[in-house]
Amino acid sequence: MSEQALPAGVKTAGIRRHSGELRALAARWGIYVFLVLFIVVSGIVAPSFLHARNLSNLVIQLVPLALVALGQCLVIMARGLDLSVASVMATAAVVGTSFSGDNHAVLPIIVVAVLIGAATGLVNGLLVTKRQVSPFLATLASMIVLQGLRFAWTHGAPTGAMPPFFRALGTQSWHQVPLSLFVLVPIAAVVGIVVHRTILGRKIYIIGGNPVAAGLLGYPVAVITIGAYVASGCLAAIAGLILGGYAEIVDNSVGSGFELDSIVAAVIGGFALSGGRGTIPGALAGAAVLVLVSNIVLLVGLPVQFQIILKGLVIVLAAACYRTR
Amino acid sequence: MLSVSGISKYFPGVQALSDISLDVAAGEIHALVGENGAGKSTLTKVIAGVQPPDEGELRLDGRVVKWHGPAEAKAAGIHVIYQEFVLFPHLTVAENIFVGQAPRTRLGLLDRKGAVTAAREVLARLGVALDPQRLVESLTVADQQMVEIAKALIHRPKVLILDEPTAVIAGQEVVLLFERIRRLRDEGVAVIYISHRLEEIFQLCDQLTVIKDGRVVGSRKVSEVSRADLITMMVGRDLSHLFPPKPALTAAQQEPAVVLIAEGIDLGRRVRGAGLSLRAGTITGLAGLVGAGRSELAMAIFGGLPMDSGSVTCDGKTIRHMTPAMAISLGIGFVTEDRKGQGLAMLLDVAANITAASLGTVQSGPFLDRGKEQEVAESGIANYRVVCRGPSNPVATMSGGNQQKLLIARWARTCRRVLILDEPTRGVDVGARTEIYRIMRDLAAQGIAILMISSELPEVIGMSDSVYVMREGVIAGFLEGDAITEEAVMELATHHAQAA
Amino acid sequence: MSISSPAKSPTFRPSPHVIRLGLVVLFIAVLIVIGSVLTDRFARSTNFLNIYEQSTDLALVSLGQTLTILTGGIDLSVGSQISLLSVLTSGLINGDGSLVLPVCAGVIALGVLIGVVNGLGVVFLRIHPLIVTLGMGAVLQGVALLYALGPAGSTPDGFDALAYSRVGGLSVSATITVLLYLLVAFLMRRTATGRAIYATGDEPAAAVLLGLPVRRVTVLVYALCGFFCALTAIYLVSRFGTGQPYAGTYYTLESVTPVVVGGTMLSGGRGGVIGTLLGAYLLSVLNNLLNFMHVSTQIQLIAQGLIIMVAVSAYVERKKVA
Repeated sequence: MSEQALPAGVKTAGIRRHSGELRALAARWGIYVFLVLFIVVSGIVAPSFLHARNLSNLVIQLVPLALVALGQCLVIMARGLDLSVASVMATAAVVGTSFSGDNHAVLPIIVVAVLIGAATGLVNGLLVTKRQVSPFLATLASMIVLQGLRFAWTHGAPTGAMPPFFRALGTQSWHQVPLSLFVLVPIAAVVGIVVHRTILGRKIYIIGGNPVAAGLLGYPVAVITIGAYVASGCLAAIAGLILGGYAEIVDNSVGSGFELDSIVAAVIGGFALSGGRGTIPGALAGAAVLVLVSNIVLLVGLPVQFQIILKGLVIVLAAACYRTR
Repeated sequence: MLSVSGISKYFPGVQALSDISLDVAAGEIHALVGENGAGKSTLTKVIAGVQPPDEGELRLDGRVVKWHGPAEAKAAGIHVIYQEFVLFPHLTVAENIFVGQAPRTRLGLLDRKGAVTAAREVLARLGVALDPQRLVESLTVADQQMVEIAKALIHRPKVLILDEPTAVIAGQEVVLLFERIRRLRDEGVAVIYISHRLEEIFQLCDQLTVIKDGRVVGSRKVSEVSRADLITMMVGRDLSHLFPPKPALTAAQQEPAVVLIAEGIDLGRRVRGAGLSLRAGTITGLAGLVGAGRSELAMAIFGGLPMDSGSVTCDGKTIRHMTPAMAISLGIGFVTEDRKGQGLAMLLDVAANITAASLGTVQSGPFLDRGKEQEVAESGIANYRVVCRGPSNPVATMSGGNQQKLLIARWARTCRRVLILDEPTRGVDVGARTEIYRIMRDLAAQGIAILMISSELPEVIGMSDSVYVMREGVIAGFLEGDAITEEAVMELATHHAQAA
Repeated sequence: MSISSPAKSPTFRPSPHVIRLGLVVLFIAVLIVIGSVLTDRFARSTNFLNIYEQSTDLALVSLGQTLTILTGGIDLSVGSQISLLSVLTSGLINGDGSLVLPVCAGVIALGVLIGVVNGLGVVFLRIHPLIVTLGMGAVLQGVALLYALGPAGSTPDGFDALAYSRVGGLSVSATITVLLYLLVAFLMRRTATGRAIYATGDEPAAAVLLGLPVRRVTVLVYALCGFFCALTAIYLVSRFGTGQPYAGTYYTLESVTPVVVGGTMLSGGRGGVIGTLLGAYLLSVLNNLLNFMHVSTQIQLIAQGLIIMVAVSAYVERKKVA
């Protein structure tokens, strides 16, 4: 790769370059190959896997995780981390039950929930960019504060019901197509296009890849980073409303575990915690892998505990595969 | 004492060392000379056990040795002072000096008081007034260098390798350092001294070995070589051919338009009241020792560091609070010193990196025009001879020289008026160097004012139409035309008596 | 550059870390003053002795966490480790007094082993510690739930003495914890290994170049973290009489709080264990005070989150210019 004529070693270099290309190819497409293989194998091992009802159930479970993962990806792309998403989800669900419980309240619920998500993201983003707090701590702190505020608001035990609208959104299907998919698809498309096809997306990649360079390129690093946290908060709020509709009984634990699961989905999808790498379709595939792993554990009759065990193994494995030498 | 035979080392894409042999006797100062990227640092790391050689063997005291890690080499008496310091900023001076080999009490615990006392002694022997209990973070670069040297002294090494130790110190400090090195030689230490400052080699060293492109060009007694011989050995050709000829100034060019004026720039204690002016179509050098404030001044002009006071005037607009975005829109470009840390997004590809400063030209609406980007990238690759597999080549796998050309390609698209290059040939091999020099001349010929920060005196002299020299945060002087000589630049860079 | 005399050394300037420790102590003092003003029952010695006792569990986990963070890592498997080890402790002892010693020894060994695996993962897979330990945490949580879905086993009479016994009013377990902190602090300052832990977190590349045992140190800190998790698990079983598979969940993120409040930087190489102990006391005092004010747990959460925000914002050093 040097421009100098290299008398010896050129051959070696050639071979290594080749293996580097293969690695890059595997990193780019491996997740999709794995996903397809997984589906095929699952279909063979457990034929019930491919039943329309099972698939539709899987998608219903996938949507909230995918939504949170999309936001998490934006943050990780910009070299951050958002641990507050689960807390935002639970808060959104609690908001969902705090109004009259009928469909008149749908709009205010959405507005309030999304505003809470956005405000959380704003605080996270400000702490990270203006105070240089590490993202881990900033979002950890806002997670705790939000949890406290929610407990204070509900006095520990939320009462009331989600409006039928959200219950339908969380559980119903239209010709076997889950309704929540109609929320995920446009949002995923928008996020995907912004990230992969716009100038803004390119700037996020460069901010994550080299924040100092991005500053010297005159990019509005702080504004974009804050924007990523705000988007993550908003998406988590929407996911929380859908999950609240799915869960029927809303308590304070709605969404618990999603902060880590969304990070896992992003990592499986090729995102590096050091920023600047990963794709949105990859992360969606990563979320799908997580949901499928949980599902197949049940279908083949393994104890449910193996869901988490496998999840743990998958994240380490995935990170090991993507690691750049 | 130390004998290196037939050492080869490959890295993906590059053969860094091929068949290197070298003998260093006890009580000898052996100069290891070569251009940037010739393989000196890699050889150092092989000797020090940081990287295993792919072929060849090392002998110490006649015995074949094979290191498994740097700790073994160190225990055997090989000590290296690296060019980029190996210091822990949040440990104290004493802790740094004794890291890994601290004095112990009888119970096997670290003897902190003993370490402080011993550190104080060794620093005093070096003639440095440093409190051993200060954090290294708070020291100046020159003092950090002294800590590195103190670290070497307390280990009583058999072989001491110094990689460009004078890059950051000057004057009396250099004299003291040389004295110290000679005394070590007289005590029987084998010293390998890496430098490309020729006068130092003639002043200090007994023997020299020149390496080029990872191979040994020759080994001689210093007393038997002339300066000109050495230069020819190092570069393989006459040095004057390395630099493109400076254009003869036509009458119109003799008073070229001033494009940028920086005045009274203050930046903490690191830059004090510095000012300079850049003229269209010329290359202005900014020389000085490392730590003199050159990079900081450039950063301030570009808006990367907010200046405490002062102003930058470009195209008749005077700006007191410059930002990078403003600088870019004024047509200023900045190729930073630290390519990885401040320039490139290493995980992204060539295209993304080339267009990073000029995203406006590859957009349609809010969208990225991939076709346009591809075109821009391809023309950048062709114009600046960036060797890569194409626009989608990840930057991380490219050589230093190509990464540097890529950065120039990035900024050439936006720098209509001024291009600042900070150490443009650091870590760049000779071939790419000449290309970078040619590109700089070409850009100047298009009427761009170029500001080049460089620590390489031949580069400053060979490239600059005029030179500003900085010392301890202030502009110490300005040289032009034939007045630009190594002696004049060094004088300004080091002597305390001279004023601007 | 004249020859210096030692006497010329400048006036003593406390390091940033010492200043942070001062801030934490100051904050504790402020809380105590507020408490004494609000209620006369707060500033009683019995109450202080309770605060002292209540800090034990968090202080124990955070001691291990401090070490991983000092190397620039983090251990997010501590919660699951505590959960698993606590169900195993009570499940295996199951009321049989003769099993107490062997089971506790086994549990401690298992904690160390888990830590070693974490450390080896960080060293050899070269993956971010956060991800390695996240994965490990999930696996251990699953195993804990495989072993028991709820509280398992019981402890023999007298086992609770471990958590509750006091000598002269001072909680024994809390005092042992303090002694452990002092021991670790001493070893960190006075052994080459302690020095290497700081060096590894400060400048990993330099540590490698100098031939410091970076890998061994990394494995060691995760192993020690596992060790302290095991102690915490045994302590919790003693306190509650049984272990359960979610006993540790709370500690995963919670263990980081005293560390950062105590002035240790997540970026590694800066801080120390004494700060963590003070951080744990600060949280303990705060919770106690809020209890006295009849403030619900929810407000305690809010206060705690705010303390993290304030602490880390205040500690951030001015960004170094490029």
